[in-house]
Amino acid sequence: MIHFDQVSKRYDGGFEALSSLSFNIDKGEFVFLTGHSGAGKSTLLKLITAIEKPSSGQIRVDGIQLKTMNRRDIAFYRRKLGIVHQDHQLLMNHSVFDNVAQPLIVAGENPSDIKRRVHAALDKVGLLSREKFKPIQLSGGEQQRVGIARAVVKKPDVILADEPTGNLDPALSRDIMSLFAQFNDIGTTVLIASHDLGLIARLNYRVLSLKQGRMITSPFASGAA
Amino acid sequence: MAKNRAATNRRRNRAPKVDIKGWYRHHLMCARSALMGLIRQPISSALTWLVIAIALLLPTLFYIALQAINTQTQAWQEGGQITLYLNNTTTIDQGQALANELRARPEVSTVEYISKQQAWDSFRSVLSLQSALELDENPLPASIVVVPIEQSMADLEALILMLTDLADVEDIQIDLAWIERLNNVLDLIESIVQVLSIILATAVLLIVGNTIRLSIESRKAEIQIIKLLGATDNYVRRPFLYLGFWYGLSGGLAAWLLLTLISLNFQNQLDTFLASYGLTAPAIWLNVREFGILLLSSILVSLMGARIALWRHLKDTDPQ
Repeated sequence: MIHFDQVSKRYDGGFEALSSLSFNIDKGEFVFLTGHSGAGKSTLLKLITAIEKPSSGQIRVDGIQLKTMNRRDIAFYRRKLGIVHQDHQLLMNHSVFDNVAQPLIVAGENPSDIKRRVHAALDKVGLLSREKFKPIQLSGGEQQRVGIARAVVKKPDVILADEPTGNLDPALSRDIMSLFAQFNDIGTTVLIASHDLGLIARLNYRVLSLKQGRMITSPFASGAA
Repeated sequence: MAKNRAATNRRRNRAPKVDIKGWYRHHLMCARSALMGLIRQPISSALTWLVIAIALLLPTLFYIALQAINTQTQAWQEGGQITLYLNNTTTIDQGQALANELRARPEVSTVEYISKQQAWDSFRSVLSLQSALELDENPLPASIVVVPIEQSMADLEALILMLTDLADVEDIQIDLAWIERLNNVLDLIESIVQVLSIILATAVLLIVGNTIRLSIESRKAEIQIIKLLGATDNYVRRPFLYLGFWYGLSGGLAAWLLLTLISLNFQNQLDTFLASYGLTAPAIWLNVREFGILLLSSILVSLMGARIALWRHLKDTDPQ
């Protein structure tokens, strides 16, 4: 599903965030991405979401060569993804409902469908009672869950999450992880960047570890045990 | 190879079937929320559409003035006259026959025969120099004053040529140069109105462009987010284009309102003023067609301003 082939990313000024990275994530896999901050986790996610382009190498997601996409292709490609951002990236002057509804509105779904699906997604993250609130009225953890509801509302092919449990207490973290696992059960590919090693250790999924832009675990081995 | 890959990409990343209903809904939503945005900030939006209105009002007033002058000068053009001085040997009968002949021509409006005696009488009554000059013989020739109907300069020149060639005509005096000069002045004014319209349209373009640019700036974060959710460039542009549309429409309507105010306040004064010169004042008004053109050009120019601002600034809003 996600295929990296000798991917490097150098920024202006010569800093190399990723060096000749190759790995493969199969369709329906659940994978953790770990590493210290600055190891290249966020850069890797930015490459998959086509926010940035690799300096060299090739990335294929669901068979699509990201390199050859034009602006319009990128827009439609991103609709396949459910992205959870570390800094939430919510629309601050829209209600929680509107925030979660955005991916469906962008895709032109009809309003009654949108209402039903947004309510289902908000119910899953336990925020159904807050649908009329503005993000600013919510705690950091609640905002994080709005972002998660928005990422899953469209039942994406791939869920990409950058520290999705960073602001959540352990009980909520477990709930969110089991939510991701539910989606994984119905075939969604999940890639979660996290440095919550305790959480990762408890869940028996494959782990990709980055260190200074290189993969330090065997990239194709399956299972952490 | 690369070609094949692109083809595969296209197949795999096929855009979902275009949902006309969803597209239409989004248009409606953007139109409504852009309008609501303007209404919710009445003062800052009023500044923009008032400037548009004033920029449109100036060329509109010039246009009305030009239309009025054009109508007036159609009447004035008939004032051009040609005087034919006849040979001294031409008898009164011959002169009157020639006058009648000319009167029958279609390109001639009126013809007046002035005999030697009539010319002498009017000369003396005007100048009262009889005693000083002590002329024992009338030196003035008989003449025919021809007023041509309104026609093109070329037709007029043909008529003049024909009149010059008449056997009984000694000399010909043409009082038409001022008409040509007037036409030149009108052409000049028309060019000035056109240039002014272009300059002020550019001003509208810049005003709307700048307003939209500020709006894009203030919603940059929002745009970056919805782009990450799969919004296309068209989707992102839509609300701003509607904003441009509403600015254009409200600016055009405001220009028309200002014109109405001017008309209510000045029409009477203008009527009285011009009536004292025996002229009919033009109506400070636009007919339905002209009103339509005013609105349409206001909207089109504003949309163009919005489009240019989007073209310049949309790339800045790519997610980072």
